Amino acid sequence: MKYDIIDSPDYALLQIVLSRGEQIVAESGALVAKDTGIAIQTSMRGGLLGAAKRKLLGGESLFQNTYTASSDGERLFLAGAAEGDLRAKVLERGESFFLQSGAYVAHHGSELKIDTKFGGVRGFFSGVGFFMLRIEGPGTVFYGSYGAIHDIELSGGSYTVDTGHIVAFTERLDYRIRTFGGFKGLFFSGEGLVADFQGQGTVSVQTRNAASLASFLHPFRRIKPRSNN
Amino acid sequence: MHFEIAYNPAHSLATAYLGPHESFRAEAQAMVSMSSTVRTETTATSKGQGGFLRGLKRAAFGGESFFQNRFSTDGSPGQVCLAPALTGSMVVHQLSVGRDLFIQGSSYVASAETVELDTQFQGFKALFSGESFFFLKASGQGPVLINAFGAIEERELSGELVVDTGHLVAFESGIEYTIGKAASGWIQSFLSGEGFVLRMRGHGKVWLQSRNPKEFGSTVGKLLPPREG
Repeated sequence: MKYDIIDSPDYALLQIVLSRGEQIVAESGALVAKDTGIAIQTSMRGGLLGAAKRKLLGGESLFQNTYTASSDGERLFLAGAAEGDLRAKVLERGESFFLQSGAYVAHHGSELKIDTKFGGVRGFFSGVGFFMLRIEGPGTVFYGSYGAIHDIELSGGSYTVDTGHIVAFTERLDYRIRTFGGFKGLFFSGEGLVADFQGQGTVSVQTRNAASLASFLHPFRRIKPRSNN
Repeated sequence: MHFEIAYNPAHSLATAYLGPHESFRAEAQAMVSMSSTVRTETTATSKGQGGFLRGLKRAAFGGESFFQNRFSTDGSPGQVCLAPALTGSMVVHQLSVGRDLFIQGSSYVASAETVELDTQFQGFKALFSGESFFFLKASGQGPVLINAFGAIEERELSGELVVDTGHLVAFESGIEYTIGKAASGWIQSFLSGEGFVLRMRGHGKVWLQSRNPKEFGSTVGKLLPPREG
C-alpha cells in the first residue's frame, strides 16, 4: 500500500495505491472514487455486538467497508465528512494511539485493533459523546478533522483542550474531563467540557468544531407550527 | 501579550502568548486549548469593562456571547489557542489611543486587557430593517483579534464606499457611515436582495468579509427540520 494526502489542509483527499490482494478498511461514507477492479465488502466489524457498541458509544457507523484490490496499482480515494485535513499514523506492534471517535476514516493492517473507550461520565451524559477510539498497532490509521490539525507537544506539564476540538493523542498521555466556564453550551456544544491532559506526548486539535457550527445554524431553522391537541 | 495566527484563510487558529502576569479577554466560545499556567474567569462584570449593564448591552446588541472569558497568568508564561465558530480568516489589529475600532458584533474574538469594549447602539433604522448590525467599540491600546466569515479584505478608505451590512467586519474611527438603500427606490432596493447598505465616508481602514453569515445561515437553516418554538 502506498498513500498520499493531497489538497491539505482545507479539503484533504487520501489517495491510496494498492497491490493485488491488499485491503483497506474504511468508515462507510468515506469513499470518493476507486478503480473498478477494487471489490467492496460491507461488514459489521467486530460482529454484531462490537458494531453496536461502536455505533452507540462512539457515534461511528454500524458498517465498515473493506476494499480489496484485484490487481497491482489500483487506486482508492477516500475523504472525511467535514472540510479539513487528513493524517496518517503508522503504529508499531503494541503501540497505541487515541482518536476522537468521529475522526476515524480508514485503516490498513489486518492486525490493527480498534476499541471504543468510554471518555468519562460527563461525556456520556452530555449526549454529544466524548468517546475515544483506542487503536493498537501494527498498522496504519487514517483520520480526519474539521479545520486544520494543530499539534501540541506536551513534556510533563498539564494542558487543557475543549473536548469538541480533540482529534487525537499519543499513548503516554492521561486525561480527565471537567466542565469549563463560559456557558459555552447553548445547544449542541457539549456543555463546555474540557479535557486536562497530563504526561508526555502529542495532542492534536482541530481548528473548527462541528458543535459550534450546529449552534450557529440552529436559530436559522424554521419553527415548528404548534399543534392544537 | 500578543496573538499569532496560523491556518489562514479557511481554518484559522490564533495563539495568544502571555508573559508572566499578563491577561486578555475572549468571546466565551472561542477557547480551543490552553496551557495549565493560564487561569480563567468567566465574567460579565469587571473593572474597566463597564460592569453588568454593559455586559448585557454587549450580549443583546453586539451579537456576542454575554460572557467573556478572562485569561491570565501568574508568575509563568502561558498560551491559549482560539478559534471562531465558522470557516474563515482572522486578523490582529494593533489598536492605538485616539483611533478606535468599530467591530461588527459577531466578528470580535479577543483583545488585550488594555483594550476597552463598549457597545455602540447603531440607530433606529437598523432595528426597523430587522438587520441587527451593532458595533462593539474598542478603544485604548493593544492587540484586537477579529474574525471573518470567509476571507478578510482590508481596504484603505479615502472617500466613499458602499458596504453590505452582512459583509462588514470592522472599521476605524475617522469613518462615518449612514444607512441607506442599496438601490435608488425602496421597491427596487428590496428586489435587489441587498436590503440595507452602509455608505461609509472618511479616512481609515475598513475590513470586509467575503461571505455573509446570515445568508449562509438561512440557506442551510431552511433545509434543516423545523425546531420547537
